[in-house]
Amino acid sequence: MQIPRLGSKIDSSEYTDLTRVVSWFILLRWIAAAGVLITLVFVRFRLGYPLPYTLLYSLTGVLCLINFLFTLYYLAVKRKNLSRGELAVFLHVQIICDYVLLFFLIYFTGFLENPFAYFFVFHIMLTSFLFTSDIVLIYVSSLIVLFVAAFLSEYLHVIPHYPLSGGVDPRYLRLYLPRAIGLCSTLTISAYLISNIKRRIAEKGRRVEVELNRYKELDRIKSNFILQVTHELRGPIAAMNGYHEMLIRGIGGKLAPRANELVHKANLRTDNLLQIIDEMIDYAYMKSEEEVRYVKSAVNVREIIDYQLDIHSSQAVQKNIQLIADCPQELFLHSNRDLLNIILSNLINNAIKYSPESTTITVYSDAVPGGSEVAEIHLTVEDQGYGIEPEELQKIFEEFYRTRKARELERDGTGLGLPIVQRAVECLGGRLTVYSELNKGTTFQIFFPAGGEDEQNSNHRR
Amino acid sequence: MSKILIIDDDLDILETTGSLLEYEGFEIHCADTVEKGMEMIGTLAPALILLDVMFPEKKTRGFEAAAEIKSKYPKIPIFVLTAINREYAFNFDKKDVPADEFINKPIKIDRLVKLISNYVGGPSERA
Repeated sequence: MQIPRLGSKIDSSEYTDLTRVVSWFILLRWIAAAGVLITLVFVRFRLGYPLPYTLLYSLTGVLCLINFLFTLYYLAVKRKNLSRGELAVFLHVQIICDYVLLFFLIYFTGFLENPFAYFFVFHIMLTSFLFTSDIVLIYVSSLIVLFVAAFLSEYLHVIPHYPLSGGVDPRYLRLYLPRAIGLCSTLTISAYLISNIKRRIAEKGRRVEVELNRYKELDRIKSNFILQVTHELRGPIAAMNGYHEMLIRGIGGKLAPRANELVHKANLRTDNLLQIIDEMIDYAYMKSEEEVRYVKSAVNVREIIDYQLDIHSSQAVQKNIQLIADCPQELFLHSNRDLLNIILSNLINNAIKYSPESTTITVYSDAVPGGSEVAEIHLTVEDQGYGIEPEELQKIFEEFYRTRKARELERDGTGLGLPIVQRAVECLGGRLTVYSELNKGTTFQIFFPAGGEDEQNSNHRR
Repeated sequence: MSKILIIDDDLDILETTGSLLEYEGFEIHCADTVEKGMEMIGTLAPALILLDVMFPEKKTRGFEAAAEIKSKYPKIPIFVLTAINREYAFNFDKKDVPADEFINKPIKIDRLVKLISNYVGGPSERA
C-alpha cells in the first residue's frame, strides 16, 4: 500500500493543518497562472520575443484547467476529513504537475536563458517544508536529472532549443553550462538548508514538549502530595470535632459555663481549620485536573441553592443576616453538582463573612433569554456587605491573595476561595463577573451555557 | 428504640458518632470492618446503617459494601460517610452508589439526627 507510506513521509508536525496547505497551494497556483499570462502578453507585445506563443498559452490553459480540477476536488473532499495519507497523495500530485508544467514553460521560453528557471527554488522550498528529506532528495535529484538530460539533448540537437531572443547561439553549452551548474547547486543547497532548519525547529519543539511534560508531572506530584496530606489531616480533625461536640453536650460530665465556652471556641477553630483544608483539597483537585472526571448531569439549581443556604443558615443567624433564594423551582442545568456546590458554598460563605450584621444576601438564578431560545443561565450572589476596594478587585482571583478587609476580619484563611470558584466556573464552561461598591455590597454573577453537551465527561480527562 | 449500625475503621469516629447518637436516643452498634458489619446486619436487623467509604484495604470499599448490603437488605437505609463530600474525589457518580444519603465528615450531629429522623421516624417515636 502506497498511501499510508506516503502519509507517514509527510513532515509537518508544525504544519499539521494540511487541508489549509492544499487550499493555499491552489490559491498560489491561480496567482501563478495569472502571472504567467501577463508575462507572456508583455513579452509578446512589448518585447516581441519570437516564442511559440500558441503552445505557451495552451500550457497556461492546462495549468488553469488542472487547478480548476484541483479546486473542484478540494471542495468535494473538504468536509470529508481526508486522512493524512490521502492528503499527501493529493499534495504529491499537485507538486508533480507544478514541476512538469513549470519545466515545459521554462523549456519553451529559452530554458537556461530564462531567469525564471530559478522559480524551481521556490518549489523545492515548499516541498522541503512539507516532506521528509528522503522524499525531497527524490524530487531534487529527479529535477537535476531532467535538467541535465534536457540541456545535453538541446546541445546534441536531439530536441530543439527555443531561444529567448534571436537565433541559437553556437556557444550555447559554454555560455550556459555555469548557469546549469549554478541552478542545480542552488536547488540542492536550498533543499538542504530548509530541511536542516526545519529539523532544528522540530528538535527545539520536542525539547520544549519534554520540559512541559516534566513541569506537568511535577505539578501533578505536588497536587497529589497536598491531596494526600489534607486527606490525612481531615480524619483526626473530624474525630476532634466529634469529641468537642460530646463535651459541649455534657456527655462525660456537665461542663462549667467557662469550660463550655472554651470548648466552644476550640470547636469554632477546628471548623475553621476544616474549611481551610477543604479549600486546599478542592484546589489541589482542580490543579490536578487531568485525573479528575467531572460527571455532568441534569442538576436542579434551586435544590442546590436551598441546600447551600440551609448549610450556611446557622452561620448567617449568628450575624442576623437574612438568606434569600430567588430562583424558579424547576431550573435545570447540565452541570456538575460538586462544582456547583463548591462555587455557591464559597460565594455564600464570603458574602456572610464580609457583610455587617442585619443585612440580606440573595442568591438569584434564572434563564437569561438570548434571542428566541434560552442561551444562558445566570447564578448570582448579591450581598450588602463591605465591598471590595477597586484596586483590590482585580487581585481577588489570584491564588493566596487576601484583601485587607479579609485579613482584618479573620486571621486564618488560604486566599484560595475565589481562585477555586473561578477554576470551577471554567471547568463548567461558564464565565464569571463581579461588581462591587464600597460599603454598598458585592455581586458575583456567573453565566453558564444552558442545555449543554451530552457527553459524560466534560473538559477534563486524561 | 431505633437500632443504628455504624461501620467505620476509625475507632474515634465510632466512639464520637456513637456516643452522640446514643445521647440523642438511638441504640448504637459499631463494627470496625465491613466483614464484621455484614455479619452484624443479619443478627441485629438495624433500622439504618452509617457506612464509611475509605477502608484500609480499599479507598472505595464502602461503595462496594453499600451495593452488597442493598442487594441483601434492600429496605435498610444506608448513609454513606465520606471523608470529603466530593464525587470527583473518588471518581464516582452518586447515581452508581445505592446509598440513601451522603454525609460529609465531620458529622454535624444536629443535621445527622434530622436526616435519620426522615428515615426512621422523629425523636418522639424513638423511645
